[in-house]
Amino acid sequence: MTAPLDVDAVRRAAAPVLELRGADEVEIVVSASDTGVTRYANSEIIQNTARRETRAYVRVAAGNRVATASTNQLTLTELLAAGSNALEAARTSPDDPAFPGFPTTEQADGPFAVRRYDESAAAADPRHRSEAVQEILKITADASAAGVYETSSHAFAIFNSHGVDRADAYTRCVTTCLVDNGIATGWGEASSHAVDEVDVGAAARRAVDKAQTGRRRGSAERGIYEVVLEPAATAMLIEYLSYTGFGAKSMIEGESFLSKRRGERVGGPGVTVLDDVWHPRSIGIGFDFEGMPRRRVAVIDDGEASQPVTDLRTAKSLGVTSTGHNSGSNEFGPYASNVVMEPGDAAFEELVAAVDDGFLVTRFHYVNVLDRPDTLLTGMTRDGTFRIQKGEVTEAVDNFRFAQSVLAALDSVLGIGRELLTFAPDYGAFGSSVAPAVRVGAFDFATQTSH
Amino acid sequence: MQDLLHAALDAADGATYADVRIVDTQTEGLTVRDQTVETLDRARSVGFGIRVLADGAWGYAASAALTTEEAARVGRIALEVARESARAVRRPIELVPEPAHRARWSSPLDKDPFEVPLEDKLTLLTGATAEMGKVKGVRFGRGTLDLMRTTTWFASTEGAAITQTVTQTGAGIEALAMSEDEVQVRSYPGSFRGHYASAGWELVADMDLIGNAQRTAEEAVALVSAPECPSTRTTLVLDGHQVMLQVHESVGHPTELDRILGMEAAYAGTSFVGVPDLNHLRYGSDIVNITSDATIPGGLGSFAYDDEGVEAQRADLVRDGILVGFQSSRETAAAMGAERSNGTMRAEGWENFPLVRMTNINLLPGEGSLDDLIADVDDGIYMATNKSWSIDDKRKNFQFGCEIAWEIRNGKLGRILRNPRYTGITPVFWGSCDAVAGAEEWLVRGTPNCGKGQPGQTMRVGHGTSPARFRDVQTGTG
Repeated sequence: MTAPLDVDAVRRAAAPVLELRGADEVEIVVSASDTGVTRYANSEIIQNTARRETRAYVRVAAGNRVATASTNQLTLTELLAAGSNALEAARTSPDDPAFPGFPTTEQADGPFAVRRYDESAAAADPRHRSEAVQEILKITADASAAGVYETSSHAFAIFNSHGVDRADAYTRCVTTCLVDNGIATGWGEASSHAVDEVDVGAAARRAVDKAQTGRRRGSAERGIYEVVLEPAATAMLIEYLSYTGFGAKSMIEGESFLSKRRGERVGGPGVTVLDDVWHPRSIGIGFDFEGMPRRRVAVIDDGEASQPVTDLRTAKSLGVTSTGHNSGSNEFGPYASNVVMEPGDAAFEELVAAVDDGFLVTRFHYVNVLDRPDTLLTGMTRDGTFRIQKGEVTEAVDNFRFAQSVLAALDSVLGIGRELLTFAPDYGAFGSSVAPAVRVGAFDFATQTSH
Repeated sequence: MQDLLHAALDAADGATYADVRIVDTQTEGLTVRDQTVETLDRARSVGFGIRVLADGAWGYAASAALTTEEAARVGRIALEVARESARAVRRPIELVPEPAHRARWSSPLDKDPFEVPLEDKLTLLTGATAEMGKVKGVRFGRGTLDLMRTTTWFASTEGAAITQTVTQTGAGIEALAMSEDEVQVRSYPGSFRGHYASAGWELVADMDLIGNAQRTAEEAVALVSAPECPSTRTTLVLDGHQVMLQVHESVGHPTELDRILGMEAAYAGTSFVGVPDLNHLRYGSDIVNITSDATIPGGLGSFAYDDEGVEAQRADLVRDGILVGFQSSRETAAAMGAERSNGTMRAEGWENFPLVRMTNINLLPGEGSLDDLIADVDDGIYMATNKSWSIDDKRKNFQFGCEIAWEIRNGKLGRILRNPRYTGITPVFWGSCDAVAGAEEWLVRGTPNCGKGQPGQTMRVGHGTSPARFRDVQTGTG
C-alpha cells in the first residue's frame, strides 16, 4: 500500500472551492484510507478485503447559517458541486446564533501532527496478512480459532477559507483471536499503530491459555463482587464513560455526569481518565474536524470530575478555549476519541493476589447505556470469567450480565495495573483507547445467565 | 458503467467465480433542535467492489475511482487476495446454483423525497419542535429526517446483470425533559430517529409529526416524575416498536446461518441455535410465526435481488413455534446442504463484502387489538418504544429497556412507569407468548442501524410486528 492521500493534490483541488462565490466561510475536511482486513473463523480464512476510500466534507457558512455536503470523488468538479449544494442548503436554513465561525489560523495555532504512522503497516500486503493468520492458526491448531488481522493507513487534511491548513496520518495494525476448545472460549488481542508492536503469536497463545483455564468449570450466583478487570474490560468501560459524558454538549444539556458532579470526587485516589492523542500508545490525529489542535484533557483528574472536552461551539458557550475535540457532528457535539486511563503501580498478578473472593473478567460484550447521567451500563462478560479465591484463579463460571455505574466502579477502585494496552475501535477506524487492568471493590453482576 | 463492470470481471480471469457491484448512494440528513438546525448534510458516495472466488477462497477489493484501468487493477488485487486466502482454507468454498438474472427494478414510491423543497422539510421539523417546546417542562425538542437512494449495478461471471434502485425515507421527533435527578426522552413514531421504510415523502406526510408533538412532549415530562418500573415477575405487553427490537435481536440474528456456522464467532458471536435444530427446536409458543421476507412492499429490507444476485424471497423461520428455517447465502446454503440460498446477502455500500443480513424479519399477526391484549391482563405492565438493548454472544440471554411503561390493572392501563426494563432467555420468552395482535395493528418498521462484520457494516433492515403479550416475565434489572 502507498500513502492513502496526496495532500498537495487535494490542496490544489480544494483551493478554488475555498473561494466559493456567495459563501462567507468554507471548510473542506478530507479523509482517505487504505484498509486490508483478513477474517478467519473455524480455523480458516473466511473473508479477505482490501479497499481504498476517500471522502471530502465541504462545510459552507452563509452568515451564521451552515450546511455540509460530501462526496467521495476528489475532483474539482465534484468538490465545487458539493460546495454549491451546501451553500444552497445553508441559505435555506434558519439563523444559528450560536455558530462560532470557522477557526482562524491564530485560533488554530498549536501542534497538530502526531505522525503515528508506520511504513510497514502502510505497506502490508495480502500475503503479509495471510501469513500472520497462518501463524495464529498454527498456535491454535488444537482448537477452533476465529478473529481478524488488519493493517490500514489513514490520512486526514483540513483546509478553510481563513487559511487553516492541516494534515496528519496514522496507521493501524490490529489482531484478535478467539479460541474455542469445545468447553470454554478464550480471548487475546493486540493493537498498535506499528506492525512490529503487534505480537500475533502472543495474542493467540493468550487465547489458548484462557480457554485452557476455562476447562475447570464452577458455578456462581449473582451478586456484588470484587473484580479484577483486564485491560480490555477496563477499556470498554472508559469508552462508554467517554461516550456518555466527556463531551461539553452533553454536560451543557444536563445529560453528562459532569453536569452536576464537576469538581466532586467521582473516582478513587489515583484514578485519572483523560483524552490524550499525544500519549505514546494512542492512535489518531493531532487536530479535530474544525482544524483545532487536540489538547490533552484530564476529564477525571486524580479522582475528581474536572472538565469536559470542547469544540468551538461549546467552548464559546462555556467561555473557554476549544480543547480541539470537534467530532464532525454538531448533533453529537465534541467527543473524546482517544481516552486513556493512567496506570498505577501494581503488577497484574498483584491485583489478582489481593482478591480474597471475587472474579476476573477478560472482556465485556454488547454493552449499552441504561442511565446516562448515572453512567449506568449493562452488558455481558465474555470469553473468560473466572472465580478468584484467596488470590488464585480457581475456575471458570458462566457469563454474567452486569448492571453497573462506571463512576461507582471507579470510586471503588482498589488497585490499578502498571501495564497499559492499546485498543482500536471495532467500528470505523478513528481513535483508540488505552487502559490498564484495575481491581474494583464492588461490581454488580446482576444476572447469571443460561447456556 | 458496463465498461467498468466488464473490465473488473475480465481482470478476475482465472477465478472460479466473480461478481462486481457498482454502488451509487445519495443521502440527505437533517436534524433540528428547537428552532436551530444541528445537522444539514447531503452526501454522495459511488464506487465499486469486486468479489472473487479462486482456489476455493474469497477475495474482495474495492475502490472509488471509476475508471476501467482502476477496475482492472482492483480486479487483479481481488484475485491476489483470494489466492492468499486460499493458503489458509481447509474446506474449499462452494456455492449453490442461482439462475443468472438479468433485470431492472426500483422500489415503489409516490413522491420523491429528494424533490421536496428543503424549506418544506425545515418547516415541518421546526413546526413539530415548536409544538413540543410549548409543553411546560420540556428542555428541548428534536426533529430528524433521513433520505437515502441507492442504485446498484451488479454483474457476475455467470452472466447476471441487475440494476436496482432503492429509495428510503425516515423521520421522527423526540422531546427531552429533566428534573434535578432525572433525564427522560420520549419519541415518536419510534426511537433512534423515528420510523423508516422504503418509501417516498408520503411516509413522512402520514406520520403527522406536528399533530403528535404535544403528546410526545407531555409524556416526556410525565416520565420525569413517574415512579420507577418495579422489579417483579409479571405479564408483559409490548408495543409493536419494542417487539421489533425483540424480533431483531432474539430471532433475526440467531437465525443468520453465518453466525450458526461460526463465521462471526469472534465479533458479533454465534447462536444458541445449531443446524441440527432445524425442524426440531421449539423456539416459541404455537402462535409464534416468523418469516424472512424481502418481498414486502415498503420494507426497509425489501429489494428484488440481494448483493450476490439471488432473487428476493419469503422464507419461514419459525412456524407454529418450531424453528424451520435460516437466513442464508449461496455459500452458507451449500455448507449446510441446502439447494438454494434464500437471498439475504447484503453489503453496506460498495466498500464492503456482502454478509448474511436480515431482510424483513416479521412476526406474523395474530388476532385482536392492543386493547384486547391489555384487557386480558389482571396485573401486568405495558412497555413501549425501545430505548436500550443488550444480548449475549449466543443471542440467548437478553435485556431490553423501553422509553415508557404503564401499569396494567384489571385490564386497563394505569400509572406511567419510568425506566422500564425486562430480561429473559430467548426460547423461554417466546414460549411465554400467548397473544399477538392482529393485522390491523401490524406495521413493517425499520431498523436503520444494524451492525455486523469486520470492517463494521451498518445495514437497514425491516420488521413487521404488532403488539404482543408474554406471561411470567422478569422486569427490572434483576
